[in-house]
Amino acid sequence: MTVEFALPAALEAHEPPEARGVARDGVRMLVSRRRSGEISQHAFRDLPGLLLPGDLLVVNDTATLPARVRVPGGKLAVHFSTPLPDGAWLVELRRAQGKAFMPNGRGFPGQVIGLPAGASLTLERRATGRLWRARLSVAVLPYLLRHGVPIRYSHVPREWPLAHYQTVFATRPGSAEMPSASRPFTAGVVTALAARGVLISPVTLHAGVSSLEAGEDPYPEPYDVPPATARLVNHARAHGGRVIAAGTTVVRALETAARPDGSVRPAAGWTSHVVTPATGVRAVDGLLTGLHEPRSSHLRMLAAFADGELLGRCYRAAIGSGYLWHEFGDVHLLLP
Amino acid sequence: MRAAPPPPSVAAMTTRTALITGASRGLGRALAAGLAREGYALIIDARDGTALGAAAAQITAAAQITAGAQITAGAPGAAVTAVPGDVTDPAHRAALRQAAAAAGGLDLLVNNAGTLGASPLPALADYPLAELRAAFEVNVVAPLALTQLLLPMLRERGGAVLNITSDAAVEAYAGWGGYGAAKAALEQASNVLAAEEVAIRVWWVDPGDLRTDMHQRAFPGQDISDRPLPESVLPAFVRLVTDRLPNGRYRAAHLLPPRP
Repeated sequence: MTVEFALPAALEAHEPPEARGVARDGVRMLVSRRRSGEISQHAFRDLPGLLLPGDLLVVNDTATLPARVRVPGGKLAVHFSTPLPDGAWLVELRRAQGKAFMPNGRGFPGQVIGLPAGASLTLERRATGRLWRARLSVAVLPYLLRHGVPIRYSHVPREWPLAHYQTVFATRPGSAEMPSASRPFTAGVVTALAARGVLISPVTLHAGVSSLEAGEDPYPEPYDVPPATARLVNHARAHGGRVIAAGTTVVRALETAARPDGSVRPAAGWTSHVVTPATGVRAVDGLLTGLHEPRSSHLRMLAAFADGELLGRCYRAAIGSGYLWHEFGDVHLLLP
Repeated sequence: MRAAPPPPSVAAMTTRTALITGASRGLGRALAAGLAREGYALIIDARDGTALGAAAAQITAAAQITAGAQITAGAPGAAVTAVPGDVTDPAHRAALRQAAAAAGGLDLLVNNAGTLGASPLPALADYPLAELRAAFEVNVVAPLALTQLLLPMLRERGGAVLNITSDAAVEAYAGWGGYGAAKAALEQASNVLAAEEVAIRVWWVDPGDLRTDMHQRAFPGQDISDRPLPESVLPAFVRLVTDRLPNGRYRAAHLLPPRP
């Protein structure tokens, strides 16, 4: 079912496209169509012409936090992943190794980690193989805005300002990592979509850290499908429009709020719903997303939108044509 | 799934619970009645236990009459829990939290209880400072304290905080300096709360001038019968809450549906 491939190192995007001389909306876009099995290649800014009047594009309005804090005088860094209802956070401990921070298996319950400006982080208990349930001595959001930097992994060798990690839709701070499928959108593309008659409506899903083990399920994340968006989803589908999710986070939020008949109700809270070929997708027809790593949970979600044969051809085409992976890379539009 | 928070249960999503302070009369009572008609289970408070009990009985009866058709369709009846007390009293706030926990959680906190401060309204030059402190205690500190207590429950359900404010918070009305300064503080506290909380909605709403006891106290001896009844702005609040509009400051008049 899953697509197996080795990701050549040359296909990792090491910096924002702007730094490579490519506009945000100038990244490449692979388009696959489930029904016909066709694959075509475009620039992202061609998106308006690929959608139809009456289609509904659902976007994530989360904003990215500078979610990494260095532990002073050491090699440790803390990645703040996800807020929990009682004010605790899921965090990941990372250790500097060369220019990057790698996973760090240590830490023990009750451990107190001193952070800049006198703040302290208390590890309560392990929540997953890598994530700790922890509590910061001060309010987390203002603290991160003052002392944090954006999370990056080893494929991005230097730090970039937070603005490079915000999408044009970002209004509600809360994500540890950028909802990167929406990164290529610009005011110009959004205007062209509006002029085309494509509807746009927001949901919120605050994305946690993406550094999951291969095969590990995503953990619960805060989400919000507001009533106006739920109504628009139902309206669009009732009139033959397609609901296109801009990013896997949007699929997760909408599918959490979907009833078995595919209609969507307003909903908010924490979701632990994981979309797989077995759960299928009930409320979403298409998906705009990045290119994902082998054996990732994202690839399993993609398999709910396209069968393994088509996905395999897509990924061979992307590798063969030199598409770029990761948050600063190219994108893939899966249409029905 | 190995992390802590459980997903919201279907039952929790369908039986919504709201806590409304200052619900024995005026806007608070009207909001309580309106939310009961929308199917909310209610927790209400006010200092005057007798008036609160009467309001609770009235809300229950009215909701059952107007929601009769829904009840047969399986909608929850109007469960109203009245907890008499003063919002500035920490023990009372703890009792409110207890009531919310007993209700299984909370979707909406309406910080409506407030005080005008000194009446007749004095100029700031002469404002009695003890009364000013008391006005800040009721209008700013108590709502924030209650919000702090209830935030974990509100976050759990992606709930909302609705703070009742006034145009006196943003306009310079002579005589309204004490009340206006306190409401301005409440507005900015709401504004910052909205920036700090990732999983809830925060609204602060100016309901407009209404025919209430508080408004009468601001204009002692004057005829205020030209002011609209609090019930007139209910559709604005129902829209705000049921559509879960984005965080921010709203004027009730701007949320009312267009005239047919």
